[in-house]
Amino acid sequence: MSAQHLSVLLVEDNALNRDMLSRRLDRAGFAVVLAEDGAQALEKMRDAKPDVVLLDMNLPIKDGWTVASEAKADAAIAAIPIIALTAHAMEADRQKALSAGCDDYATKPIDFPGLVAKIQGVLPS
Amino acid sequence: MNRFTAGLSLRARLYLFSGAILTLFAVNVSTHLWGSLARTESLVAYRDTVNAAQLTDDLQQSLEAARQQILVLSTLRETTEEPLDTSERDSALSELQDIDAKVRRLGTIGNEGTEDYYLRLKESTTLLLAVWQNFYRQYNDTDTALDVDSAVNFNDALQRLGELDQRQQFLAIQRSNAIDRTIALTDRITVIGFITTIAVTLVLVVILIRATNASLQRLKTGAQRFGSGDLTYRIKESLEAGEIRDLARTFNDMSGKLQTAIDDVQSAKADADAANDAKSMFLANVSHELRTPLNAIIGYSEMLQDEIGDPGEVDRAQFRHDLGTIIFSGRQLLSLINDILDLSKIETGKMQVGLEWFQPAALIFQVCDALSPLVNQYNNRFELVIDNDSMGEMNSDPSKLQQIVTNLFSNACKFTENGVITVAASMDDEWLTVSVTDTGIGMTADQQSRVFQAFVQAESSTGAKYGGTGLGLAIVKEFCTMLGGTIDLQSQPGVGSRFSVQLPVDPESTLANA
Repeated sequence: MSAQHLSVLLVEDNALNRDMLSRRLDRAGFAVVLAEDGAQALEKMRDAKPDVVLLDMNLPIKDGWTVASEAKADAAIAAIPIIALTAHAMEADRQKALSAGCDDYATKPIDFPGLVAKIQGVLPS
Repeated sequence: MNRFTAGLSLRARLYLFSGAILTLFAVNVSTHLWGSLARTESLVAYRDTVNAAQLTDDLQQSLEAARQQILVLSTLRETTEEPLDTSERDSALSELQDIDAKVRRLGTIGNEGTEDYYLRLKESTTLLLAVWQNFYRQYNDTDTALDVDSAVNFNDALQRLGELDQRQQFLAIQRSNAIDRTIALTDRITVIGFITTIAVTLVLVVILIRATNASLQRLKTGAQRFGSGDLTYRIKESLEAGEIRDLARTFNDMSGKLQTAIDDVQSAKADADAANDAKSMFLANVSHELRTPLNAIIGYSEMLQDEIGDPGEVDRAQFRHDLGTIIFSGRQLLSLINDILDLSKIETGKMQVGLEWFQPAALIFQVCDALSPLVNQYNNRFELVIDNDSMGEMNSDPSKLQQIVTNLFSNACKFTENGVITVAASMDDEWLTVSVTDTGIGMTADQQSRVFQAFVQAESSTGAKYGGTGLGLAIVKEFCTMLGGTIDLQSQPGVGSRFSVQLPVDPESTLANA
């Protein structure tokens, strides 16, 4: 499956990081949908049914862990793979994200080629 | 007995028991001496009895021999009329004197019980001997008729002698019986005393051992409980006395002091653990805060690198914007690093205070102006209330005042949405007062109590929600103290917070007056 056919929901509250990452994903050929908080994220997952979600964990209104667990509990969107994006770099933070229901985990600063590889990795083959 | 000895010290118990045993021993020895004395008395009595019996026999024989001689001589005198020569007469008289001496000797043996009998014997023999002496003296005087038929006197003397003998024997038997009884009694007392001494000694030794052992056992139990870590255990001092009570008290004191020392160590360890946890959390927060601007810096830089290789014209406005974000993020990173260094300097005591005279009103205005973009970030309104009439120069460290106002102001902006942030400043002769008030989320009393501690944010999760390392307020508090001032916080959850700083206008005069 090539990037041209994939849609990505990027959930990020920090404007700079949202702008930067969405532009890089766009350049790489992904169709990018944006959300700024946890409530928006769940809403866009249900509406847009993206192929993959890039989820920042420190979000206003509803944090990333809550979004991940609620998404996995909702049968309509449970199958959408979620990659956690966070500046929390400890092993415990990775475990916390995975146990909340995230499929993978990427640490900020983002290694972009690595992130693309992770996106490919979490998609159903 | 146990209850009785329990109140005594070990030394007193030993003295008491030794005294008791010695007393019993002394009683035993004196009883034994009494017995020995009785035995000696018995021997004397026996000897006297034997002597008296011998003397009585001897006297009886002498009396009978003298009477025999006189009867023979009397017959010869009547038949032959042969005179008695002087030597024969003197010899006979001396024998009579011997008899008299024997009677007297008999008188020295015996006592009050025989005195009457002796006097009667003495009377009788004196009479008899006088007749016999007279016989010998007048033997050659042939004209005189001599009374030799003194059978009455003689028999009387023999009878008296027999009576005395009997009396002496009776008394000897009586005395002997009494002495035997005494000996039997002292023997019995000695045996009983000996057995009693052994028994009492054994009982006292057992009591002493058991009482001492029980005390030592209680001490041992206490020492074992202390050794196993039960330092709240106390040996019952009331059960002990003297040295053991001192020892028990020393043990208890030692245990109490150990407990205090362990409590101190444990609380120090808890403090150290808490500080360590706080530092770990701080490091995690620092790591998080460093990564956030770094993500923008690296991300934008890589993107620009990609874009510069694209064919066609470069979007210069886009480039300028992207470079601006890189610079902004780099500065954010720098201020964060500066905060960490400041706190590190404060903690190691290397933070210097540089006093100089300056205008605080101007400084506060500049800070607020520079930070005005933060106000708009969450759609807040800003009010600056400077009492220009009262504001003059002050002698303080302007860079520290700048940082105090910056930190309080950016804090207020961070925790307030759609609200009002007010910075107010006024001055009197002694103090500058600067307050920063917001209508933000506010803090509970518990959060307020911890908010000035380094490495701590009001709530662990606020770091995640609002960012920041929790260093800003710790630095503000430290700076206020270093400048000789104070910081006061009033806050209510959901209503807002008001930080009020008071700094001396001139530390030298203000603090000297205070």
